[in-house]
Amino acid sequence: MLPDKLSNNLRGPDVTSIDLATLTPGFNDTVHDSQGVFRALLDALSRPGKIVSIDAVLPSLEQDGGTAAAHVPMAAFAALLALADYSTPVLLQHEHRGLSDALRFHTGAPLTNDHAQAVFAYLHDAQSLPPLDAFSLGDPETPESAAMLFIRVDSLNEGPQMTWRGPGIRDSQAVRIAGVAPSFWHERALLASQFPCGIDCYFVHGGSVIGLPRTTRVEVA
Amino acid sequence: MSTSAQTPAPSGPATRREWLAILARTPRACMKDALDAALDGASPPEFDWLRAPDIGLAMVRGRVGGSGDAFNLGEVTVTRATLRLRAGEGHSAIPAVGMAVHMGRDKERATLAALADALLQTPAFEARMQEHLLAPLAARIAENRAQKQARAAGTKVEFFTMVRGD
Repeated sequence: MLPDKLSNNLRGPDVTSIDLATLTPGFNDTVHDSQGVFRALLDALSRPGKIVSIDAVLPSLEQDGGTAAAHVPMAAFAALLALADYSTPVLLQHEHRGLSDALRFHTGAPLTNDHAQAVFAYLHDAQSLPPLDAFSLGDPETPESAAMLFIRVDSLNEGPQMTWRGPGIRDSQAVRIAGVAPSFWHERALLASQFPCGIDCYFVHGGSVIGLPRTTRVEVA
Repeated sequence: MSTSAQTPAPSGPATRREWLAILARTPRACMKDALDAALDGASPPEFDWLRAPDIGLAMVRGRVGGSGDAFNLGEVTVTRATLRLRAGEGHSAIPAVGMAVHMGRDKERATLAALADALLQTPAFEARMQEHLLAPLAARIAENRAQKQARAAGTKVEFFTMVRGD
């Protein structure tokens, strides 16, 4: 786990140095904490629409991580810490020094501004999302190489009523998510014809996530 | 590792590059004794881990002579650690960050070295650390080196070549 040198090469020379004096600490117990977060994220994606709490897995991260990575939901920070590594370029919708320093230091992940290159993307403003087809959708032979989006939303239990159906849902699941631009649902529905290619999303609020895999059909009332 | 910076001359305080080189060459027991002596019985300051000690592999590259192409010699285990002193320690506005990247798998040693690195950057501790930690450790390395050189010098053979008269 010493990939820093490799990722330095990927990032290129124009990257500022990491400010260690204000750096947000990562997991207390890297191995077990990232396993716990991974399990929670897996659970969220296999039960679309279920609110999964990462708080419960990591009670301590909120206080520690609340300072330098302020304004970034703890669940998104923990998910990126657990998933990203030197081989997964991460895209941040807005410049965020605390988050980008922490990701570079703890995970060695290269940061990118190229939507097509990003494996993970953190989208801070759900009202003005970039077009979904700008991200990598994967190839029919390697659909797993598609991008995964973490979208910060205002609430996971208020907002317009939706009905989700598909694998992982017994009949239908009622979901309310506040603050997502309506065009997102339309763009996402258009991608369904390209299955198995597509994009998996997590909606993040505070310490909780809702997973939305590419197989789920969303009806917006 | 052994080809990098030489042991510093005893005069003048060591720079960070020099003290990191000294710490990297010091075994755990010596480092612990020296750090205890430098802290003079006081408990070590509180710190937070930015990166708790973890162990990994690094590829060591070599060259044959000065002109050969670089080749992969083999992998070595490396332990790295980064810590940050709690704010208020040593009354410095910017908390000192200490790091250690050492060959081997000794997490305790990397912890001690990172702590020593942070203290050496903290004004309140710097003078004591330079005097009681770095000076003895640098002397130890210099002494080892001198002994090794003396042993090697004992095996020196002088060759005399007869001039062939034609």
